[in-house]
Order: sequence, then structure tokens, then C-alpha cells
Amino acid sequence: MKNYQLGEFEEIVILTVGILNNEAYSVAIKDEIESRLARTVSMGALHTALIRLEDKGYLKSCSGETTEDRAGRPRRYFEITALGKKAMLHAKETRDQLWKAIPKTVLEVKIS
Amino acid sequence: MKSEKVHPPNLLLRFFRWYCHPKMLAYIEGDLIEVYERRLKKSGKRKANLLFVIDVLLLFRPGIIRPTEGYHQVNNYGMFKNYFKVGIRNILKYKVFSFINIFGLAVAMSVCMLIMLMLADQNRYDQFHEKKDRIYRILSDYEGSRQPYATSPFPLANTLKSEYTVVEETANLTPGVGGDVMYQQKFADMRGYFADPSFFSIFSFELEKGDEATALSNPRSMVISREIAYQLFNDENPIGKTVEFADRQLPFPQETDGVGAAPVSWGSFTITGVIDESRYVSHLKFDVLVSSSTRQSLIAEKKLDDLTNNWEWYFRTYTFALLEEGKNSSDLAVALTDLVTHQYANITTDQTKGFKLLPQKLGDVALGLAGNDTNNRLPLIGYSFLSLLALVIMVSACLNYTNLSIARALTRAKEIGVRKVTGALRKNLIFQFLSESIITALLALVMAIILMLIIAPAFKELWVNKYLNFELPSLPSVYLVFLGFALLIGVLAGLYPALYLSKHQPIKALKNLSHETPGKFGMRKVLGVSQFVISLLFITTSILIYNQFKHFISFDYGFNTHNIVNIELQGIDPERLSNELQGVPGVTTISACDVIPAAGRSNGNEVRRSGSNDEYFSNDLLLADENFMGNLGIKLTAGRNFTHEEPAQNILVNEAMVKQLGFKHSSEIVGEVLETKWGSEQFKVIGVVKDFRYRLLVNQHEIRPMMARNEPEHFEYLNVKLSSTDLMSTMTRLESTWKKIDPIHPFKYEFFDDQLQATHHAIFDIVAILGFISFLAIVIACLGLLGMATYTAERKTKEVGIRKILGAREYSIALLLSKGFLRMLAVSVLIGAPLSYIINNLWLQEFPNRVEFGLSTVLLGTFILLVLGILTIGSQTLRASKNNPVDALKME
Repeated sequence: MKNYQLGEFEEIVILTVGILNNEAYSVAIKDEIESRLARTVSMGALHTALIRLEDKGYLKSCSGETTEDRAGRPRRYFEITALGKKAMLHAKETRDQLWKAIPKTVLEVKIS
Repeated sequence: MKSEKVHPPNLLLRFFRWYCHPKMLAYIEGDLIEVYERRLKKSGKRKANLLFVIDVLLLFRPGIIRPTEGYHQVNNYGMFKNYFKVGIRNILKYKVFSFINIFGLAVAMSVCMLIMLMLADQNRYDQFHEKKDRIYRILSDYEGSRQPYATSPFPLANTLKSEYTVVEETANLTPGVGGDVMYQQKFADMRGYFADPSFFSIFSFELEKGDEATALSNPRSMVISREIAYQLFNDENPIGKTVEFADRQLPFPQETDGVGAAPVSWGSFTITGVIDESRYVSHLKFDVLVSSSTRQSLIAEKKLDDLTNNWEWYFRTYTFALLEEGKNSSDLAVALTDLVTHQYANITTDQTKGFKLLPQKLGDVALGLAGNDTNNRLPLIGYSFLSLLALVIMVSACLNYTNLSIARALTRAKEIGVRKVTGALRKNLIFQFLSESIITALLALVMAIILMLIIAPAFKELWVNKYLNFELPSLPSVYLVFLGFALLIGVLAGLYPALYLSKHQPIKALKNLSHETPGKFGMRKVLGVSQFVISLLFITTSILIYNQFKHFISFDYGFNTHNIVNIELQGIDPERLSNELQGVPGVTTISACDVIPAAGRSNGNEVRRSGSNDEYFSNDLLLADENFMGNLGIKLTAGRNFTHEEPAQNILVNEAMVKQLGFKHSSEIVGEVLETKWGSEQFKVIGVVKDFRYRLLVNQHEIRPMMARNEPEHFEYLNVKLSSTDLMSTMTRLESTWKKIDPIHPFKYEFFDDQLQATHHAIFDIVAILGFISFLAIVIACLGLLGMATYTAERKTKEVGIRKILGAREYSIALLLSKGFLRMLAVSVLIGAPLSYIINNLWLQEFPNRVEFGLSTVLLGTFILLVLGILTIGSQTLRASKNNPVDALKME
């Protein structure tokens, strides 16, 4: 059994990359997270997470087109790898299992 | 359009570019700019700038910062590793060459390091003073002096402080305290200075007990060293205690300058401070400081000369000045020049002709030895000379390395070729060879440090060190310097081979380099020859100085010193002591005198024929009693000897004086009357003695005119001639007799023979040092020769094999292999022998009582060099010629 490691913020980032599908580059990811989750994302945290995910092999990147609003610097687009998909699913499944294992009463008490 | 464009803060962007990992730089920078532009449109420049700053700072985190080892250097690291590995392998593969290189470098380095240690040792002096950069010692100089004096006129300190604004504070430090201090039946011997209260505000000496600000303010105050305090008071608190002091004029600061006089009571003193003087590394050493205000009362009691307004006599006082903040030595020099023009306008004595006062920075005192200095140190010229010798050795060792490396180019040619073909640039190869030489130098450093730890104690044991006081402590900073030095040597020694070896075309290097036969009569031979020329020079000089030493040892002084013991009177009446000692069995005769002839100290005056207008001539002056000449076996040639209680104006003269005054026969001078330049004294010659040595052999060639007077009040020594075979027991009896007369002071004596021997210790040390260095020079030169011979023999193994099979004799092969080296040796001798003759004659001409220096010394030196050289070459070539030819031909 492989050990898929995915931190909380890393999970958000890789999910957002999935949402953006082919349009995922740093600023877009940042905007997407900020709008969906209503939290601010610092550039440093985002890039560190992206680098880590890439190092783990969950993401791959390619250099994109250069645009004028970036003063000629290229964008770097990210894509989820097969390993990344497995890791995402693994994360989801373990969560689901945990969810299922919680006795209903606990949740009910909490809601009430 | 473009010009309107607003950019993010440039400085921060540059900072970002500097720290960001190059792999991600472009993308993240693009992001930053994109977000910045957006924020600019939305919320204006200020907010965008602020957020940009935050972004950049938040990006400064691990993962984004570039790695410190450098992203690009990864590959170079591999190369370095390779260079290092190849270097070590080469050292291990050619063990003989590596040993020659490392050993030679190590030997030379250890000598250089020893000298560095000596310099470091001297630089520790007076470093603890907080104001050391502003403290100056004032030197005196006059026209025609050999070197300036460390002392200056007594009134200088006061005048300088009151009349010139450039100094903040001055201190007058006058020696002249030397005698016995007494406290409740306890005695101690102490020597020191009269010091101004400002002494403690200029220097950072701290008192262990007492207050620096007031310790020297009142008359009759004394600051004593911890050692003296312990001797007198043991564990009591000395502050405020009253002690009695009796001055005996003990010589200070140079303890060899005399033996003191009878005690004169100076009355009572109050102890106001105790100083732990041993804590400080300073050129000022003392047991006691007496407040200078004490001088007034002592002058009034006629126990001290009044120097208060004496500008002519500048041989006693040390003057220190603390400059105002922001002033420098040239400001002080201007003030001093001005002072001299005012003060010396009306003073015309011999010793103040062209008088000058010069500032000397406190930091320069340690190396800037001046006349009358406070202690003996090696002067700067000594360091220059030693450094020169060390440099010669070092260069010689470096040349060995260079020489052997170039010679071995042939062996390394294939490696160089392959490296070049696979893409190494010339600079890479240079780097490789340099790293090899640096590895060698570092290995040599380790060996050198071990060698130095062996040499340094031997050096400290040398007789001269008693006077030079080198401690040679192991300071960590010195070892850092050594490391830097080793690296430098590595680069210097390896530079030429690196440039030379990396020069070759790859194709030539791969094909065959041996066609090139590098530098047949070039560099290599010149280097070898110069090494041997230097060695020959060293050998000849050492032999010469050794001969000179032997010459002095067996010198005929003109008097007999056998079994004579010189006893210091230490203020005791000579007649009284003499009478007591006369009764001791084993004592034959006793005489008395003021200085021991030929042992170092001397006195003189200037005389001429009374009533004539002749020039005064200087002559030596000896004070001796009626037994002196007989006791030392000095023969009387005319007139009569002194009688007991001879009037002081009656003198004995030597034969040189007879000649000086133009008389043919000794008897003609008897009855002649002389007058001195100083005072109106008249001397009547009553007798003539044979010439004998009065001054040090190294100081004087011809025996000068001398006169002797019988003045018992100035005698300082008794010369006791012993007849006993059992000298030891006689000495014990003499000592116990002394103890009866003077229970306080120790019995001080020396055998006359030993005393004269001791005067040659300095020369013997020079022989030792120079001999050692020439030994090293020869060892290094021979090592180089050995390396070359071994290499040649190895290269020619096949040739030797073929020749042997074709019937060549062993000796003819040995001759063939040695021919080049023998020629080199011959050239060295041809250049070196005349050179050493000329150079040694240059200094020997000036040397008093010199030994004969002729062809024989040079020939002996040459012979030693040739024997060593031929042995070195022969060991290798003979071995090569004796090899079984089959082995040689089977090789490869």
C-alpha cells in the first residue's frame, strides 16, 4: 500500500488545479481559492505548495505563453498526474471512511 | 504609453531576483507583476506597492530561496573531488618525489614559521594599553650617532606638557631606584623607576591594591610589585605600611650594566599600591615605582643628582607622551622640533650637536630597539637578516618542487592529453595542478608544525634568548597565518609547473612528449645551479664563523685568568673583605678592580701631555689596586708598581700609551705628566705594563692606550686567586666568610675563565643558527638533486639495459647518467667559490681580531659540497647501473 501524503492546503491546491482544468496557473489558482473558500492565499504559500506537489509527482507543469501584463514572463500551467489523481482519491476515500465510522448520534447532538 | 507604465518597487524586485531559485524565477516574477498590475488598477499605487512588499517578503521561505551551495556549482564540486583524488593518488604513487617535495617544503616552512612566531611574540608587547595608538615614546638623537637613544632630557616631559597643546599628558620615567627595602627585619632587593602620577593615566597598568589616581601623587609613595609585596608582607595588606629603603645604585633597567655600590639610606616610604606586574606583557618591567615628587627631598639631601633643568644630559629618563585625540606623530614631531630649537639654542656640548627629539609610537617600540633601551630585544635588522635567510631556504624548497614537477611532465603527459581531448580547458588543468601543489603544501604544513615544535624549544634554549626573552607562545591566530602561508606557498610553488604542464597541445602530449626535452639548458639547470651556489655560500660562511669562534676561544688576552674568581663587592669595603678572605685556606693572592677586563664593561677618558697643545686622545681607564697586575700575571716593563694607598694621581700606563705619546722605550715615559679633558686633574706616570686586552674582542681590534689608577673607593670586584686543587670546598669556605660580613646579600662570584668564555656565546649562537640554516640549505639542495637523479635514472632504465647487454661497464654507465649533474655541480662551484670569498671578505674586513680567511676555507666548503653532491648523484646512478639488464628490458 502506497503512502499518499497530502496536506490540507495541498489538497485544496490540487483540487483547484482540477477545477481549473488546463487553465491552472499560479494566479488563477490563487484567485479561484480566494473566491471559493473566502480565504487569502499568499503567493509564497501557494508556490511552496505547488513545488512540493510537483516534487511528489502529483502535479506536472509546462511553460505557457508570455503575455504583456506579465512583462514578458511566461505562465506555468499545472496538470494533475495519474499519481496525483490516485492521491486525491485516496484522500477522499479515507475521509469518507472516517465519516462513515462516526456514529450518527454524535453528529445529531452536534447539530442540535 | 510605455513611459507611463508604473513598475513595482525596483529594489524589492532586485532583492527577489537575488534570492529566488533560478528555476522558478521567471514564473514567480511573472505572477508578482501580474498581480501587481491588477492591484494597481483596482486600488492604486500605494496599496499595490505595500501588498507587493508583503508578497515578496512572504516568498522568502525555504523551497523558493536558492540553495546556498549554488545551483551551478554542483558540477564543479565533482571536479574538485576528482582533482583531489588524482592529487592524492599521484602523491602516493611517486612516494620518493612526494617525500622530497613535502619534506623540503616542510623544513623550509618550519624555519619561516619560527620567524613568524618570533615576530608574533614581539607584537604581543604593550597591546593591553587602551590608549596605545596615542602613546609615543620620545627618542633623542644627535649628529653622527649610530642609533637614536630611547632616553631623553629630564625636563622634557614637563616642558612638553605645559608649552605644547598637541599632547594631552606626559610621563617622566627615570630609573635610579635600586636597593634594599626593609620592613620589620624582612629584606627584598628591588629596582624601579621614579614615575609621574600621570603614569597610570597614560598606560593601562592597573593596581591590584590601591588607587591609580593618587598612588604616585605624594612624595615618598611607593607602588610595589606583587612579588615584593609577598616577600615583605606575606599575606598582610601592604597599603599604608611604612618601609625603609636603602639605595645601592643597582643597575636598572639593564641589569648587566654594573654591580651597585654601598647602601645609602633614603628614609621611609609609604606603600600606596601593589601591581601584579607579571600580568602585563610590556617593555617596561619594574619592581617598584617611586613618586617623582620624592626626588626633591632626595636632591636636597644630596643623595640624588638634580636633573630638573638639565637639558644636556639625556641618557637616563624615558619620556612618554599621550597625544590629544586626532593628532598624529607628525604633529608631535613638529612640536618636538620647535622645542629643540628653543631649548638648545644656547647649549653647545659634544653630545647635543645636531640634537633631535623623535617620536616613536608605542607599537613600534618592540621592534624599534634604541640605545639605552629598557630591555634587550632583537633589533629590526636582526629580523630582516633572519627573514632573508629563511626566504632563501623557502625559495630553494619551492624551486625543488617546481623543478621536479616540470621534469615529471613526461610522466604526466598522457593524462594531460586525455584530459584535454575530453574537453578540459587550459584553466581547468592549471587549476588541477595548483590543487595538487596546494595539497602538497598542506601536507608539508602538518610536517612543518611538528618540526617547528621540535626546533622552537631548542631555539629558546640558545644563550642569546636569555637576553631576547622569546617565549614563542602558541597563539591560534598565528596558526591561521601559517595556514594562509601554506596556501600561498602551494600556489607559488605550483604556478610555474601548472602553467608549463597545461601548455601542451593535446595531440603532442598524447603522441610523445619526450621529443621536446624540456629546457635543456634552461630554467631547470639555472635553478639547480643557484641552489648550490647558495649552499656553498652558507657552508663557507659557517666554517668561517666557526673558525672565528675557535680563534676567540683560544685568544691570548695578555693576562692569566686561571683559577681566578671575581667576587662582586656589593658595596662592601674591599680592604675589609680582602683581609677576611685572605685567611681562608686555598687563597693565594687577592686584588681589587672596578671592571673585569675583556668581559664587556669599560671606562675611558681623554688625556694629553700636560701643558701641551696636542689633541686630546681617548684611552681606557682601569681602577685597580697594587696586587692586580701581579695577580693576573701582567708584567711591568718599566718604573714601579702601585704601593698600598698610592695617591690617585699616580698612574700606570700600557705600552700602547707609550707608543701613542711617541716614546720609543717604556722607560722614557716614566715621570711624564698628563692632563684630562674634564677637570684639572694631573696624572703622573709611575710605571708601564705590557699590553693586555681591556675591551671585548669583538669591539676592538687594536689594544688602545690605557691607564690604571689606584682608587679603592670605586672598586667593585675582588679577584681572588686560588691555589687549592679542591676548588669547590674553597668556594664554600669563601661563601661562609662572606656570610659573616654581609648576611643580607647573596655571595656573587664568577670564575674568570667562564666569564671570558661567556663573551663569545653570542658568536657561538650565530654559528649555531647559521650552521643550522646552511645545513637545511644543503639538505634541500641535495634533495632536489636526489629527485632529479632518481628521475633520470628511472627514465633511462631501458637505455641502461641495452647498453649493458652491448657490453658497457658499470662505471661508464654511472658516469653517463651523472655527467649532466656533475657539470652542474662544477658550474656551481665555479660561481659559488669566488662569490663566497668576496662576500665573506666584505664583512670580515670590518671585524676586529679576525681569523685568517683564505683559500683553505673556501676549498673546504667546496669539498664538503662536492662530496655531498656526488654522494647524492652516485647513490642513484650506481643503483641504476647495477640493475640486472634483463629486468630493465622486461619493464612495461
